[in-house]
Amino acid sequence: MKVTFPHMGNVYIGAKFLMDGLGIDYVIPPFNSKRALEIGSLYSPEEICLPFKIMMGNYIESIERGADTIILTGSCGPCRFGEYAELQMKILKKLGKNLDFVVLDLPSDIGFDELKRRINKISSQSPKPKKEKYMALVNAYRIIGLIDALEAKAHDRAGYELNKGECKGLLNECKKKLLETNDPKEAISILKEYHKKMDEVKISREKKPVRVAIIGEIYTIIEPFSNLYIEDKLMEMGVSIKRTLSPSWWVYNTVILSPFGLTAKKIRDAAKEYLPLGVGGHGQECVGEAVLSSEEGFDGAIQIFPLGCMPEIVSKSILPSISRDKNFPILSLVVDEMTGEAGYQTRIEAFIDLLERRRRYVLSRN
Amino acid sequence: MKVGIPRGLLYYKYKPFFTTFFEELGAEIIESPDTNKEILDLGVKLCTDEACLPIKVFHGHVEKIKDKCDLILVPRIMQVEKREFICPKFCGIPEMIENNIKDLPQITKAPIYSYSADKFLNWAYETGKLFTKSYIKIQRAFDYAIKEQNMFKEGIDDEGFQYKVALIGHTYNIYDKFINMNLVKKLNNFGIGVITHEVVDDNVKHMEVKKLFKRPFWTFAREYYGFASYAVRNQLIDGIIYLSSFACGIDSVIVELLKLEFEDIPFLLLKIDEHTGEAGFDTRVEAFVDMLTRRKGGNLA
Ligand code: SF4
Ligand code: SF4
Repeated sequence: MKVTFPHMGNVYIGAKFLMDGLGIDYVIPPFNSKRALEIGSLYSPEEICLPFKIMMGNYIESIERGADTIILTGSCGPCRFGEYAELQMKILKKLGKNLDFVVLDLPSDIGFDELKRRINKISSQSPKPKKEKYMALVNAYRIIGLIDALEAKAHDRAGYELNKGECKGLLNECKKKLLETNDPKEAISILKEYHKKMDEVKISREKKPVRVAIIGEIYTIIEPFSNLYIEDKLMEMGVSIKRTLSPSWWVYNTVILSPFGLTAKKIRDAAKEYLPLGVGGHGQECVGEAVLSSEEGFDGAIQIFPLGCMPEIVSKSILPSISRDKNFPILSLVVDEMTGEAGYQTRIEAFIDLLERRRRYVLSRN
Repeated sequence: MKVGIPRGLLYYKYKPFFTTFFEELGAEIIESPDTNKEILDLGVKLCTDEACLPIKVFHGHVEKIKDKCDLILVPRIMQVEKREFICPKFCGIPEMIENNIKDLPQITKAPIYSYSADKFLNWAYETGKLFTKSYIKIQRAFDYAIKEQNMFKEGIDDEGFQYKVALIGHTYNIYDKFINMNLVKKLNNFGIGVITHEVVDDNVKHMEVKKLFKRPFWTFAREYYGFASYAVRNQLIDGIIYLSSFACGIDSVIVELLKLEFEDIPFLLLKIDEHTGEAGFDTRVEAFVDMLTRRKGGNLA
């Protein structure tokens, strides 16, 4: 058995060390690229949302490298993501790829026994004793939490750093180092080391950078390739960024909190006034985060979603009202395989310009 | 009180229920006209660009009647079957309408869970409150409305045609003659009869989808897939026509499931949006009809 999994931001880091810990052979799909997207689109329904297409590209590139088992988290929400697995399986089968799909749905949908059976499919391949298996899981969860936190720190501090590019550089360096080891324990110490380094980056709180919240559809905000590396772009512009949704956020809120009905409680509560009920995906979260970030003193928010994304079309309709009520600029960016770099960059720059100008205007008035 | 009922989205399915319910409560009903160019244009102008055509059309209907009524029905249909969903956009339609259309009268916002009378009653109480303080009256209106709805015969099952196709798609695409450019009539004129999914019993559809890896969690997916699978297996049809709109996330998945599953059945996907021209649409239908007739002719020879 050689497992693989689709890319989604830092997920590969957590997944890698989980497999390392379990002693199971795996392939990390090559980082998302034009090629992955092109192959993926070729074999995907034309009008399916972007994440589906990139994921197909990941599978095929991993299969080329010997993967025979795909692990995928499912969901039975009212959105398409829940139907991904069924379609992807069928398409790959038709292509003659002989593959195993292990779909990790929530127990509330498939029952504990079924979930256990599916997990067993993987964990039975692990030569490690039970306790070590458990530790592998614990460590992987820690690792994903640490890398997400490091990233968030870098995004925040990039706006205040004195040596331009330092935060981004450290973050990338850390990710590279992580790929050089197969030992979860070592990974944790690397991460801790970089957390320390990140804390020590010279910053100036006087700087008062523009602060922007990134909100929208979870895949396109987490997976940098799909949003044309917007966070790198913003960091380069000296913007301080906050993005609440991350792989560890997802795990915590979807897997751990959902049985208690507490998923994203604060965010959803904040959304209530504008969107009282969930609309699938993270549409309600998007609205809630727009409200929260306006209250938390951000200068603006950028909503990103794939073309045709159903929940985000609902939230996009609502955002202008929030923007008006709270006097809070929000930019909506729609991405798909045709999104051109130039026009996209221009829109982001114009938006940041606008935020800076508003700043100056407000300052000069006070 | 004047209640506006927009002829869009699931109007075609639940019209008897809603009209009866509001009439029983003493409302005067103001229905928007059948979809026309003006309504379409209004919808396109008001609605978020990225939305699908049916959502835009619904916006047009609301805009058209908003000045004439005190309350507009904007059904937030969350679920019609347990553990199944409709479409994310249905869950947020009141908010879309509210944020995209100015100077609205009151609109109905309570969620509808119609899989059990108990749950559905919550909507009725929530909405009926605007008309009367009497729960009993609301309950009675609700019961009548359900009865009317149950008597409503849905679906098309043409007889006496040489060929028959399964016409699959959302009710608001299939029964809105303006939007679909009179597709059913066109097919009939070519000697092609139509059958739609409502004709096949729900339990049958539940059975048919069992062969999927995953229980479909969209009601639409279960219904359409189940219907197609049943119709193909029992040789009720010569082909499938799927009438879809661009930017329908649900259809993008169902269409693919059907295509992957029923490779040997002639399949035509018609996608409509505000730019669809009738000429091109007709050409595609004709080409499909040609293919069907040649194919069947060939088999007979
Ligand atoms: S939330 Fe959007 S991107 Fe995700 S599955 Fe649904 S439609 Fe696709
Ligand atoms: S089911 Fe499709 S056509 Fe209907 S509202 Fe949803 S996305 Fe639009």
